[in-house]
Amino acid sequence: MSTPLKILLVEPSLILRSGMCSVLRRLTTFEMQVAEVPDPERLDEAVAREDPDIVIVNPSVVDEETVHRLRCRSVRVMALQNALIEDRLQQSFDAVVSIYDTAERIKETLQTLARPQRDDAAQEPLSAREKEIIVGVVKGLTNKQIADELFISTHTVITHRRNIAAKLQIHSPAGLTIYAIVNKLVELNDVRHTIQQK
Amino acid sequence: MNRIGKYAASDRMSDLVCDDFHVLLVMSRFGISLGFGDRSVEEVCREAGVDTPTFLAVVNMMFEEEETCNCGEISLEAFLGYLHNSHDYFLQYRLPEIRRKLEMAVGSGTGEVAGAVLRFFDEYAGEVDRHMLYEEQTVFPYVRRLLSGETVQGYDIGTFRRRHDQIEARLTELKNILIKYYPCEADRAKEMNGVLFDIFLCESELASHNDLENRLFVPAVAAVERKLNDRS
Repeated sequence: MSTPLKILLVEPSLILRSGMCSVLRRLTTFEMQVAEVPDPERLDEAVAREDPDIVIVNPSVVDEETVHRLRCRSVRVMALQNALIEDRLQQSFDAVVSIYDTAERIKETLQTLARPQRDDAAQEPLSAREKEIIVGVVKGLTNKQIADELFISTHTVITHRRNIAAKLQIHSPAGLTIYAIVNKLVELNDVRHTIQQK
Repeated sequence: MNRIGKYAASDRMSDLVCDDFHVLLVMSRFGISLGFGDRSVEEVCREAGVDTPTFLAVVNMMFEEEETCNCGEISLEAFLGYLHNSHDYFLQYRLPEIRRKLEMAVGSGTGEVAGAVLRFFDEYAGEVDRHMLYEEQTVFPYVRRLLSGETVQGYDIGTFRRRHDQIEARLTELKNILIKYYPCEADRAKEMNGVLFDIFLCESELASHNDLENRLFVPAVAAVERKLNDRS
């Protein structure tokens, strides 16, 4: 399953903060969790607690050193600019958006920042091997039995199952059964006993 | 939610409901009936014999993304009643209702996919049942003993908090399966939409119910535990 992008929004102004929050919530391309920090003094504490991927911060409440420190922790830092800022400070950020930017522009900026972590597994089709594994799971076989049948290790079976879950967003055997029947990976006779057992 | 700031005892009850219709669920779980005219939250609660601070704590916690709560104000006795009624709602009404609509959407017993979908749902309903039964049979009696002033050895609310999983994940999975993979027949589209709407709602209701237990119930019980420990 793709993990949501964790964003920490550091902005003392309630109005700007809620505005940015509402823009972020509408960017449905991302699954994200936004935590708000009104008080810049509590930035470090919040970073330690939330472990964010991206910090969006009003550049007037931080200095270069803080930005640098955050980036050293492999947090990406984006400035939410509402006034002119000094060039050197501006360059210390990974990205800058202005309060006058369109939602589209903010989305693009976030996308470039988030890219290294994006999980594209969901777009890939299932491999033939993965389909075989699903059939095994649906028939009610254990990982060990599937491994023996396909002459691979149990460890490999587990890795395949993890990838299947990421691609289909289905985690349970009962869910895979539905998928397998719909996509005709199994004959009804193969699964009759698993469907009927209660 | 358009409103900023907390609801107060002097607000009109009808305004609360019109601001966010989910308040209806909270009201019925507290046993408050409709038809309260223009009376305030406090008046309506008093007439129904409901503890006003507890009612407001639940409403404010459910609909505000406020992290902190003033747990000292709420009546745990009233809150236990509320949680019990919520469990009843899910187990006796919500889930059976979804099961019934799901059957209409997939056609009961016809075809293997229908069978697999219903089986998935039944397994899930069983899971929710066990989750809530544990609270009813283990956690609530424990809290009642605390409330009667007893110190209880060998269990604490922290244990509950640690094993308190989210319960809507499998429902989310079912929703995804129906949306992405289920070949719905065109003449059943209305029924399918109906049950999907219900699943979307139920998913958020369950998440919010669990969240309420974690953010309001657990801290309130922990406060009672501390008080008892200090005394002994």
